Amino acid sequence: MPDIKFRVKRQDPGDKKNPEAHWEEYIVHYEGDNLTVLEGLFYIQEKYDGGLSFRYCCRASICGSCGMYINGAYRLACQTNVKHLDTDLITVAPMPHLPLVKDLVVDMDEFFAKYEYIMPWLIRHSSDPEKELIQSPKERKKIDMPVDCILCGCCYSSCPSAWGEDNYLGPAALLKAHRFEVDSRDEGGKERIARWNNERGVYRCHTIMNCVEACPKELNPTEGIQWLKRAAVRRKLLGKAK
Amino acid sequence: MRAEVISTHRGGVWSWLFQRITAVLLIVCLAIHLIFTHILNIGELDSANVAARLANAGLTAVDIILLAAGIYHALNGLRMVLMDYWFTSRTRALTLTIVLWVVGLAFMGYGTWALWPWIS
Repeated sequence: MPDIKFRVKRQDPGDKKNPEAHWEEYIVHYEGDNLTVLEGLFYIQEKYDGGLSFRYCCRASICGSCGMYINGAYRLACQTNVKHLDTDLITVAPMPHLPLVKDLVVDMDEFFAKYEYIMPWLIRHSSDPEKELIQSPKERKKIDMPVDCILCGCCYSSCPSAWGEDNYLGPAALLKAHRFEVDSRDEGGKERIARWNNERGVYRCHTIMNCVEACPKELNPTEGIQWLKRAAVRRKLLGKAK
Repeated sequence: MRAEVISTHRGGVWSWLFQRITAVLLIVCLAIHLIFTHILNIGELDSANVAARLANAGLTAVDIILLAAGIYHALNGLRMVLMDYWFTSRTRALTLTIVLWVVGLAFMGYGTWALWPWIS
């Protein structure tokens, strides 16, 4: 039965006696070779400290709840097998540059407010067809990349433009704007464009590409944002975006 | 949420587009400028030599485009950097833009004035 050491960053800002951040170490025992970081955290919670706080839900890397900073990189705790980290020490910290709630839980309110601001839903003006909205495989292919976003917040936490500017929409919200802008069924371009085509929207992106590196789903928000910039020019000069 | 703040920061598309256009102009005009000044026209950097080169209207035009593109590209880049930091509110950003336009136009005026004897 192998052992592995977990170093977890703990902090409870509400604890008056000890509000400072500190690292705690735990030995996690496991069998086989399929321990994920999330399972390691469950083990710590059960055996050592029931007060350890972290978010999780689906355990299949599709809900985006367990985005964390694991061994120096943004990862989803549920899809990170400790074996693949190839080390005896697993360090787990909350996603940096976001307000901390407790331990590994960060405040995502601002993130989701910005996401909602971009109107992340299908907007239709023409009457809907009787059966379904037909989309060709070629049209569907255009949304293949952005539609996979699970809103874990890793890109947003990693973006230097978002660190320095509270009002910057951030990569996730802008990738979602791109997702609807390229969708052949969507007709909300005119409503949405004022929200992303401004100095606190796409033009705060300086193509640093941390988001591309951080994304656990291997998406490319920078590409989406650059696409939006070109779309804005097309709208201004030609009057059409698609 | 700061929806109101974001919606007051309109624009940005033209400065983004012109940053790219001026970048292309800089590559082309700078290449022409360097080739004609330092490779094809090797000689003393004196008034007579410069006057002979600038007698060519095409080269003077290239120099003026180079001047305009260089000033725009540099100041717009500076504006982008500064807007990441202190110039975040609409009033500050607008003030910065106006100041940079004044500075840019002053540089442009001074540069054109220096080239004027050969243009006229």
